[in-house]
Amino acid sequence: MTAKRSRVGAAALGAALLPAAALAEGTLTISVYSFAQDEFQEIVYDPFMEICDCEIVVETGNSVERLAKIEANKDAPVIDMAVLSTHDALGAARKGLLAPIDVTSLKNHDKLYDIAKDPLGDNLGVGYTFYATSIVYRSDKVTVESWADLLSPELAGNVALPDVTTNQGPPALYMIGEAMGDADYSLSAPIEEVAAHADDIVTFYVRSSQLAQLMQQEEIWAAPVGRFAWASFKDNGLSMAWATPTEGQTGGMNVMVMTANNGNEDLATRFMDFWLSTEVQTKLAEALVDSPANAEVVVSDEIADNLTYGAETVASLKLLPPDVILDQRETWLDQWNSKVMK
Amino acid sequence: MFEDRRIGLALAMPAAIFAAALFLVPVCILLSEGFRNADGWSLTPYFDFFASGRNRVVMLRTLKLAALVAGVSAVIGYATAFAIVSLPPASRGRMFAMVTLPLMISPVARTYAWLVILGRTGFVNQILVGSGLMDTPLRLLFTETAVFIGLLQLFLPLMIISLVSAMENMPRDAVPAARVLGANWVQVFFKVILPLTREGLVVGGTLVFTGSMTAYITPAILGGSKVLMLETLLYQRVSVANDFASASVIAMILIVMAFSANVLLKRMATARTRR
Repeated sequence: MTAKRSRVGAAALGAALLPAAALAEGTLTISVYSFAQDEFQEIVYDPFMEICDCEIVVETGNSVERLAKIEANKDAPVIDMAVLSTHDALGAARKGLLAPIDVTSLKNHDKLYDIAKDPLGDNLGVGYTFYATSIVYRSDKVTVESWADLLSPELAGNVALPDVTTNQGPPALYMIGEAMGDADYSLSAPIEEVAAHADDIVTFYVRSSQLAQLMQQEEIWAAPVGRFAWASFKDNGLSMAWATPTEGQTGGMNVMVMTANNGNEDLATRFMDFWLSTEVQTKLAEALVDSPANAEVVVSDEIADNLTYGAETVASLKLLPPDVILDQRETWLDQWNSKVMK
Repeated sequence: MFEDRRIGLALAMPAAIFAAALFLVPVCILLSEGFRNADGWSLTPYFDFFASGRNRVVMLRTLKLAALVAGVSAVIGYATAFAIVSLPPASRGRMFAMVTLPLMISPVARTYAWLVILGRTGFVNQILVGSGLMDTPLRLLFTETAVFIGLLQLFLPLMIISLVSAMENMPRDAVPAARVLGANWVQVFFKVILPLTREGLVVGGTLVFTGSMTAYITPAILGGSKVLMLETLLYQRVSVANDFASASVIAMILIVMAFSANVLLKRMATARTRR
């Protein structure tokens, strides 16, 4: 069961029994990733509930499950706001499931890094966190200076790559392509290259949490991973390093979205604004939950080391455009299945 | 048992309604997804599924591993079950408890243990390298071998339990009688033990084969995306691609395979007895 109910109180019980619109005023239903919910409860949900005198009902799950639920309830929305990856959000927008956010009501909107202000266009989403994706590796075994090193003889049999179906997969493939001198969004060249080295790759991981154990067991020496997972590697007792490849780092961005016709837009907008505030974004950063999208957030060097932090870092990320991911996803998967998974 | 048949039917009705409403109807709804496309009823999802080389590989791999696990567990199961039923009653109870003990531990915990045991720095590789049999550690994880070992350990107890109960129902003097009449152990097994325990083999074989085919945790953890099986592919289609049509096709294949395995095992057992 992936759905988690927060505050099983009268309002939450009512939400289950009555049409959403009937109690929209005092209840905000949000759809979020299941990751770090205890921290979100303490830093975001509980303080906001005190301010707004409302209840927050939290629905968690992976993107596909949550999107399916939003789509299934399109005519009578149950979810008021959701957080999604940029490409999933764009997919939802194209299906008419999202409404523009009234950014003039977001006091903290101006504080965001420019690329977070309107990543989908038409104010259909606001970026609230980023992550860099690079290569984590055993510095006592190998040196990684390029994305091409992942497929080098030195790492043969000791490397894991993200599956193409994960959020890390396509960006990592894109960077391998760039290292090969073929930065085409079709990803044909890097997929061919990975297929040619498929036997040298220990596994194509689907969850980054899997990697920490594989690294600890010395099953692998290197893998592309999101910066959010760095904390689980750096203190594992082994010589770990975060690569800064010559081609640069890739990554991803998550956005907040407003579901269309939810009838609870005001409360959802206030909640988004609260989440984007310098205070909340700082606390989330200090708890190593999310890297801040609010440019005014200041954290210590030690905290910053675990995050994707600072204007310079954010600007240098080579992010795949969400429309490219959305439009190419099926083609990538077909190529991957026919060549790598044959 | 009941003089009035209607009483029996009435007593069975709540369970029948429960099964129909909460199991059969949802299963039928789910399976019907595989017979639809955007234009209405269609077999396109099935054609699409079998057109993919990857899907065919996954299906054959699932069949192969499930059959291998069932076959090997039958061999080990017969030896173990025979040893258990030959013990005095007190020791038999203890041995039987040891066989059933793994079933009381979560499959997730058992599978994670294999992740450690089969790792490069794990127990198996330590022995292989330490004894000089191998120069460098073998890569065992994320291979069909790892999935096979995990599934065998997971389902072997079910085969042993089925065979022990079948052997306990064998006439006590059947094996000694065959031996006295000059049958060697191979003849004793094929002419006496196997025919008398065929029901146990059918039950155990079906449980192990179906269990191996439909296991998710073990192939997911020990095989990963490089050793996809039908169940892990089904999960991938639903959770990653939101493709319920393919998932429904896979579910139908799994159901058909499970029923076929049961029918086939029953036929094999009956044919051998008739001969």
